Amino acid sequence: MSATVDKTSGRRQESLPAAPIASKRRRRLGRQEGAAHVFMTPWLLGFVFVTAVPLFASLYLAFTDYNILYSPEFTGLENFRRMVDDYRFWDAVGVTIRYVVVSVPLQLAFALLLAVVLDRGISGLPFYRGGYYLPSLLGSSIAVSVLWREVFGHSGLINQVLGLFGIEGQSWLQNPTTALGTLIVLNVWTFGSPMVIFLAGLRQIPADLYEAAKVDGAGTWRQFLNITLPMLTPIIFFNLVLQTIGAFQTFNQAYIISGGTGGPLNSTLFYTLYIYQQGFVSFNMGYASALAWVLMLAIAIVTAIHFLLSKYWVHYGDD
Amino acid sequence: MARSIAAPAEGSIRQRWQNRPDNLIKHAILLLFLLVMVYPLLWMVASAFKPGHLVLTEPGLIPSEVTLDNFRKGWNALGRPFSWFFLNSFLITIGSIIGNLVSCSLAAYALARLDFRMRRLYFAVTLASVMLPFHVLVIPQYIFFSKLDLVNTYFPLLVPKFLATDAFFIFLMVQFIRTIPRDLDRAAMLDGASPYRIFWDIILPLMRPALVTTTIFTFIWTWNDFFVPLLYITKTHLYTVPLALNSLVDSESQQGVGLLFAMSLLSLLPILVVFTVAQRYLIRGIATTGLK
Amino acid sequence: MGGAIGSAEPGGNTTMGKTDRRGFLKLTAAGAIGAASLTFGGRAATAQDQVTIRYGWWGGTERQQSYTAALEEFEAANPGIKIEKEFADYDAFQERMTTQMAAGDVPEIFWIASPQVLTYEKAGLYRQLDDIPTLDLSDFTEEILETIRINGTLNTMPNGVFVPVIRYNETFAQEDGVEIPTEDSGNWTWESFQQLLIDYTNDNANGRVGSTYNPTHDLTFEAYLRQRGEQLWTEDGQIGFTVDSLAEWFNWWETLREAGATLSVSEQEGVSPDWQLAGDKVLVNFNNSNHIIDDAKAFPDYTFKMRAMPVSEGAVEGHKYLYYPRMAIYQKIAEDKVEAAGSVVNYIINDASFVRTTGLTMGAPINPRVRQEAVEFASDDEKEMLRIVEADAAAQRNPRYEAPAGSNNWRTVMVRTAEEITLGGADIREASQRMIDEVAAEIERAR
Repeated sequence: MSATVDKTSGRRQESLPAAPIASKRRRRLGRQEGAAHVFMTPWLLGFVFVTAVPLFASLYLAFTDYNILYSPEFTGLENFRRMVDDYRFWDAVGVTIRYVVVSVPLQLAFALLLAVVLDRGISGLPFYRGGYYLPSLLGSSIAVSVLWREVFGHSGLINQVLGLFGIEGQSWLQNPTTALGTLIVLNVWTFGSPMVIFLAGLRQIPADLYEAAKVDGAGTWRQFLNITLPMLTPIIFFNLVLQTIGAFQTFNQAYIISGGTGGPLNSTLFYTLYIYQQGFVSFNMGYASALAWVLMLAIAIVTAIHFLLSKYWVHYGDD
Repeated sequence: MARSIAAPAEGSIRQRWQNRPDNLIKHAILLLFLLVMVYPLLWMVASAFKPGHLVLTEPGLIPSEVTLDNFRKGWNALGRPFSWFFLNSFLITIGSIIGNLVSCSLAAYALARLDFRMRRLYFAVTLASVMLPFHVLVIPQYIFFSKLDLVNTYFPLLVPKFLATDAFFIFLMVQFIRTIPRDLDRAAMLDGASPYRIFWDIILPLMRPALVTTTIFTFIWTWNDFFVPLLYITKTHLYTVPLALNSLVDSESQQGVGLLFAMSLLSLLPILVVFTVAQRYLIRGIATTGLK
Repeated sequence: MGGAIGSAEPGGNTTMGKTDRRGFLKLTAAGAIGAASLTFGGRAATAQDQVTIRYGWWGGTERQQSYTAALEEFEAANPGIKIEKEFADYDAFQERMTTQMAAGDVPEIFWIASPQVLTYEKAGLYRQLDDIPTLDLSDFTEEILETIRINGTLNTMPNGVFVPVIRYNETFAQEDGVEIPTEDSGNWTWESFQQLLIDYTNDNANGRVGSTYNPTHDLTFEAYLRQRGEQLWTEDGQIGFTVDSLAEWFNWWETLREAGATLSVSEQEGVSPDWQLAGDKVLVNFNNSNHIIDDAKAFPDYTFKMRAMPVSEGAVEGHKYLYYPRMAIYQKIAEDKVEAAGSVVNYIINDASFVRTTGLTMGAPINPRVRQEAVEFASDDEKEMLRIVEADAAAQRNPRYEAPAGSNNWRTVMVRTAEEITLGGADIREASQRMIDEVAAEIERAR
């Protein structure tokens, strides 16, 4: 029961006792529906004009032969048939999958570890946080290719250190077995981004939960397991999903470090690099669109799996 | 149940865990790791001060010759002081930040909190849009903007930000909002608050870490974005910093690496400043709101 | 209880207090206005009596600066024409060009990447050049024009002239007591050159090697093919070389590499050498004639000289050739801009003051008269280059055809083949056959 003041007459009015729940709820839902449309308007506009139109255009192109200079020519499933026989396509798939499976967990592990350690309180926290984040700033800049050669190249830092032990190293970038590894290291090197997100998530865990736990006699490790980790799961999930999607879509680093070739011997031929080569270098825009949609499908499936599995380990505060 | 969410001030962070003194070992390990991480950057700093032809031929951190040439030449390399490009980048970046903050928070709130028929569909579509490989959308998008005669303006760079096209941040905010207990919303709704009020008075303040994170990342990504400005901006006076940097190095002859490093360093400074300043807001965290 | 949501609890305060929220609103408003003004910024109003011509080119900082200066000189002398300078580095330029082509938005005058010459021609991107009154072609003999024409039409104009060269480090040669034979010494064949490099590597005391590893350099490969009576591309747009020649070419290089007379792939960071890394380790380098100018700057302590390619016995007549990096005028150029564009191109190719300002980084000027004039202000390195180009220009030359549509990828395929051979241990002949098959397939697909 609540009292409201009638604005026109200034009289206090008792509102009617508990109107049927259904209509109140309907009214609330109705208001939510209306509000939702208002809130989603910018997004809707953006989606329709900036995303949807190019999206459907590229879907159409996937079934055509389009070389940019002439109009697209419908060819049905030809592009997809071509993919099956294309050895570079399979190379690209292999490279990308290997990259995703290794670099994402590795990167997130570092990010989480450092975030937790830093969040515990240490003098000079901003210094460390900024320092660990620095590499992310350079992650996809043009300077990275030179820097990476400085570290992994024939006369780079790693080989210099190895030289101290009498081991003569070859260029890690020119070796088809290790070239992808250098890119994985690059991804892990830029763990600063997910780390910052973890830190923000850690920041949002209410301190009184820890207080209560301490009162109950829980030690540091128990606190971590029973409070930090569960409360952090939405953020872990977010980072996991988005880093995975991002890893599938890695382009800049591969392009910069391999000089756009995906070499040596296709060992750094990331899928998006292959799409780029087909579309922008060979002008096979139709084939490139088909490749892109296959990638999208793959990412969608992986993401769907993430979402399905999330029921089992992600704990939201709004349940 | 009214839960009060205490605001940890900087000092009280220590109370969150058992009180542990900083041990030297911990610092040593952290520092060592930091040095390893940061080595390539240190090398870049050192190289920026080396004369052009020594940059690649002389490995190691200590330059044999120190010069400010790279900075001097690089500053005016494109016919106007580099600060011009900083300004351009700033404008675009600040605009993008505002755009993302406003449009993405609106969409995130609706997707996370409001109940409406199209919610699942919109959510799936938003998710799908993150999965799109960029290079495939590029050509239709370019044709679209070029037919509207918007090439060589900042329109194609800015307007999408105001239309929540950076779905990454919508997701980030959705996940953060979902960590906020619904009790607060429900209490407010019982008081007759509209979704707008709830958004403005409850959710937005509690989302602060997400908003700060969005700001930081939008800044960095927009600042470093190369390909989109490359396509739409061909007039030098409209160049952003990455475009200007790119034209310092010739991919055919690999000249200009020293200039590239010098100017890259300079272009890192604003990002560092923003990050350092924004960090403080991350520290402050969530402050008290109370329910009676 | 009403209206108490989010208000202060005694002793606490809201994060986003009233001032914060007003600030947020102000931000939004500012942002909207800012965005609106920005979006329409950058649209310079062109004066009614001025014609604006967009000029697109690539390179590094130096080339950007020097060409900008030269174009501004033109503008100063021609106030009715304004030049929009659209510069990017090579890769970025090609990416942007692709998008601009798709949108029909190509600059009025643009440089053409060598693998794309015929592709663009087939797509109708070039405007005819011999009917523009402001473009004076009187300095060009019919012979020269014939070499410039593509399929009988004059629709592109060379920016310069390159020839393939052997560039050697004279400082090293003197220090190590080696002499590089001249072209007419009779001792300048592929076989003798190979031996020279191997001997050099074994004998010199400074740990230097004979050459970079560079089988993927297109111009020198072409020279090699032409000497054997083959060519890169035929007149009707097919591959002009056999698997034998390709395999022998790779073999020549593998012999050197395995003898240690070239840098390893690891040392030079790739099957295509990085000059900055390699320059102080090698005696010779295979390259384009114009590169000496930029490359010498990377190593100011050394002097460099050039030789034309080795010639084996039995080389066919007329194997020499000139390579033209080209530019063109966009087919869809507005009619009222044609004359202005023509006068820009005219200035570039006919007026020696243009190359005086830009330097000869794009090789020797195509106009013979300007070439002569350039000798007066050329630097020593540039004079070296001009000497070699003149010699090759004077020689008898069989016709040369540009890369056909669909083959624009051929250099990357060659790089991959070189990788297969050096890193993957592939059999040279098989790898060569695969390369030819792949390039041929792409050409076929483009028909």
